[in-house]
Amino acid sequence: MTSKTEALSALIASARGPRPISLQSREAEEVLNIALALTVELAVSNDRIDRLERLVAELRGEPVEDLRDIRYDGDIAQERYDATEALLTRALRVILDPRGHEGAADTDT
Amino acid sequence: MGLVMKVRDVQHAVLPQATAEERSRQEAVVMLRKLLNAKVRSKNVERYGEEARPAFVAAHGRLPQSPAEVQEAFLMSPSYRRWSAANRAAQEMIWVSVGEPIYRDLDRMTRATANLIDSPDKLGSLALDPSYDPSPEVADVDIHLQPGGYAMDKGAYDVVAGALYECGGNVFSFGQGIGRGDSKAGVILKLLEEHFGGFVPRKMLDIGCSAGAASAAYAAHWPQSEVHALDLGAGMLRYAHARAESLGVAVHFHQMDASELKFEKDSFDLVVSHNLMHEIGEEKRRKMIAESFRVVRPGGIVIHQDVAIRNQPTIVHQVERDWDTHFNGEVHWNTYATADLRADMIAAGFPADTVIEHDLAALQGFANNRWYAISGRKPA
Repeated sequence: MTSKTEALSALIASARGPRPISLQSREAEEVLNIALALTVELAVSNDRIDRLERLVAELRGEPVEDLRDIRYDGDIAQERYDATEALLTRALRVILDPRGHEGAADTDT
Repeated sequence: MGLVMKVRDVQHAVLPQATAEERSRQEAVVMLRKLLNAKVRSKNVERYGEEARPAFVAAHGRLPQSPAEVQEAFLMSPSYRRWSAANRAAQEMIWVSVGEPIYRDLDRMTRATANLIDSPDKLGSLALDPSYDPSPEVADVDIHLQPGGYAMDKGAYDVVAGALYECGGNVFSFGQGIGRGDSKAGVILKLLEEHFGGFVPRKMLDIGCSAGAASAAYAAHWPQSEVHALDLGAGMLRYAHARAESLGVAVHFHQMDASELKFEKDSFDLVVSHNLMHEIGEEKRRKMIAESFRVVRPGGIVIHQDVAIRNQPTIVHQVERDWDTHFNGEVHWNTYATADLRADMIAAGFPADTVIEHDLAALQGFANNRWYAISGRKPA
């Protein structure tokens, strides 16, 4: 039985040839690659959530649209708000970090 | 025309059994490629005028004058660079999305291959040539970035090259807008029906068959015909053979070089190649075409089919199409796009009045996909 990571490693190890870049910076191009790969992974997760929603709707005997239209308020809404804020803070960490502003200030002088 | 075997998305024993998650990933990459092709790449030539040419003029004080300078200008356009970077990333992701299930499911696929290859009830055959060293101009390149390339062979019952080719081709083609049911063999069968009076070969050869999708489709369409197919890689051929056996069609696969066929002259009624010419250099292509003339019998037909990237309206369109040479491991893409194939066919021996270039509509799919083919007939 080959694990997913072993499978990916075997594939990556078998690739040959140069990797010419198109952007002006190799680093920027690598970041773009990671961003696109994550976008694909988000699509994979969305498919998975969709499958679960449909199964739950079926179990509840209601249209999946009704299940998706459930909105929360009060404590649950606050919990989701906090979770989203934390997620965005993690994602934007690099520009929220005050050290980024110190670098920017240097260029003004 | 009779029923043509659906070539893409055919289910058989040697295909990896992808999980729902793996299929989601492949579909997301297909969608990414589709978007990049339809919404971004389609604007490249327009962006050339808006961004690339002015940037080149600003840098050099004159207009670009050669394909190399047009390429340099393209790379001065931020829009082109963004598309190119994203397209390369998407191409690599095709191989990640299909390679993971292949390597994960490889033990089962290898057992299935062994069972099919060693079965006493085989319909076709597999003739590997251990003394043949696959031509480096194809074997040494990861063509369209397929990891390990077309000739990768890990011995025993290894089928990875063939599995990557078929699964990657499925994902790639959907992303290009080539329909799920489109079949290059189907396009040629239609051509034979419409231009050659429904010609049916008793014996035919498919040169450069890769994973054997077209070869199997011919065998399914003409069960009474003897179908032979060749390619250079053992891993590719094992897969093609096991695939054909699993689908229950008789194809005889051979490992040999397209430019040096081991068949006697006048052996076949029909000789075809699919998407081969753009994978080989000029010298090998001319030899391959000459060999196709030698092995077809007098009165027989030869058809070489390939991608419709020839005859671009301007040098800017031509260079835009040539992205694959620089970024996609398609070393001979431009050599093929600009070759005088008619001259090659005539030099091989086909009478000029039998040599016809065809602009063929894909059987299914959107985006107005086309295929190119050139045919010739050996004098009876």
